[in-house]
Amino acid sequence: MNINATLLAQAVVMIVFVAICWKYIYPPILAVMQEREKKIADGLEAAKKADDSLEEAKLAFDKELNQAKSEAAEILDKANARASQIVKDASSKAEVEAEKIMSSASIAIENETNKAKEELRQQMSDIIIDTTQKILGDEISKEKHEDILKKAAEEL
Amino acid sequence: MAKGVMTTESYINHHLTNLTCGKVGVNEDAGIYNSFWTCDPYMVDKMGFWAFHVDSLFWSVLLGAVFIGVFKMAMPKDMNSNSAPKGAQNFVEMCIEFVEDNVQSLFGSVKNTLIAPLALTVFVWILLMNLMDLVPVDFLPVLAGHIAYAVAGSGGAEGGGVEWITSPESFYFKVVPTTDPNITLGMAFAVFILTIYYSITVKGFKNFIAELTLHPFGKWLIPVNFVLEMVNFIAKPISLGLRLFGNLYAGEMIFILIALMLFFSSIPIGMLGFGLHLVWALFHILIVALQAFIFMALTIAYLAMAHETEEH
Repeated sequence: MNINATLLAQAVVMIVFVAICWKYIYPPILAVMQEREKKIADGLEAAKKADDSLEEAKLAFDKELNQAKSEAAEILDKANARASQIVKDASSKAEVEAEKIMSSASIAIENETNKAKEELRQQMSDIIIDTTQKILGDEISKEKHEDILKKAAEEL
Repeated sequence: MAKGVMTTESYINHHLTNLTCGKVGVNEDAGIYNSFWTCDPYMVDKMGFWAFHVDSLFWSVLLGAVFIGVFKMAMPKDMNSNSAPKGAQNFVEMCIEFVEDNVQSLFGSVKNTLIAPLALTVFVWILLMNLMDLVPVDFLPVLAGHIAYAVAGSGGAEGGGVEWITSPESFYFKVVPTTDPNITLGMAFAVFILTIYYSITVKGFKNFIAELTLHPFGKWLIPVNFVLEMVNFIAKPISLGLRLFGNLYAGEMIFILIALMLFFSSIPIGMLGFGLHLVWALFHILIVALQAFIFMALTIAYLAMAHETEEH
């Protein structure tokens, strides 16, 4: 158990092993570890970013949705208003038309009636004159009693 | 050492002796007339400083290679695949994270790419070496003894072989490198060299010398300052190495002493030994990890001190 050259040999051996570890063992392992650490950190960062952007997207989506909803409601309101307007217009037009038809019809009827009356009167006066002629002979003629006939026709 | 008969003393000695190889020089007084390399335990005294504890170095290098191998294999071949880590890779990354945390807390903002790999190597390597303490005390030495005797024993049928391996017991093989002060002090020495290197390169040679000489009594008592600071300076690596050695040596010793209880041919004592072995092994796991951690933490701390450019 004496001190001898083993001490120096061990010191040399140790320096050799430390050098091997320093050059070939430690740096690659540490590099792998650090790279992975960085990758994990990046991953977490990206996840956080994704979370944020998801949140943002959700907000934007909600906003868009609300806007769309209100727009839709507006359009619907407009459409309803328009529709009722159209219906109203149509019905008023129809009423006017109906009235027009009615009035023209009544005018025509009146005209027809008047025409018929006139005809009737004419025929009546003719018949009366005919009959009177037959009864009275040629005492009266159409030409002689034009005035009287006219008066009678007006009274009828 | 008594051959053949195993006594308590020889058993303990066997476990505390390293397989030492060294060059035996010419020594006419000892009757040696030509220098040669040998691992003969009886020649250890004649080897002087230039002897090597082959068993300690063998385990140290093997376990260092295990560390490098495991950390190399655990990572996927394609480093850029970026797939989820699995299996051993998780373990490796856990170790690195642990070391990074420690370096970060002691070093703060100072950037030096050597510190973390150094701390990782020191921690895992020492942990592995300490863990060899948990292998049953007799298992590997006896195995190694028998292998050595079978391969190169001098008493074999064919004769020849290495003359000093006369029996499996004559081959010493200590398993735990950190119970060898050469190993722990060797590592502390390497840390010491790094400390000096970074002290000089980071602070500058002038500041480094100033720190050693102008403190604590100012420039009129430079010799006193130097002696005081030098003690402080040298004590760091020595205490670093001896702390690890002392803890593991004591632990190993207790394992040996517990194993000795089996020498008594008594079932109750044997059972007690078995129980104690279990308890001590469980407790020792704590020491194994703790000492590896302490060595690492102090290594980082000493190097952090070397990077501090404080003006006194």
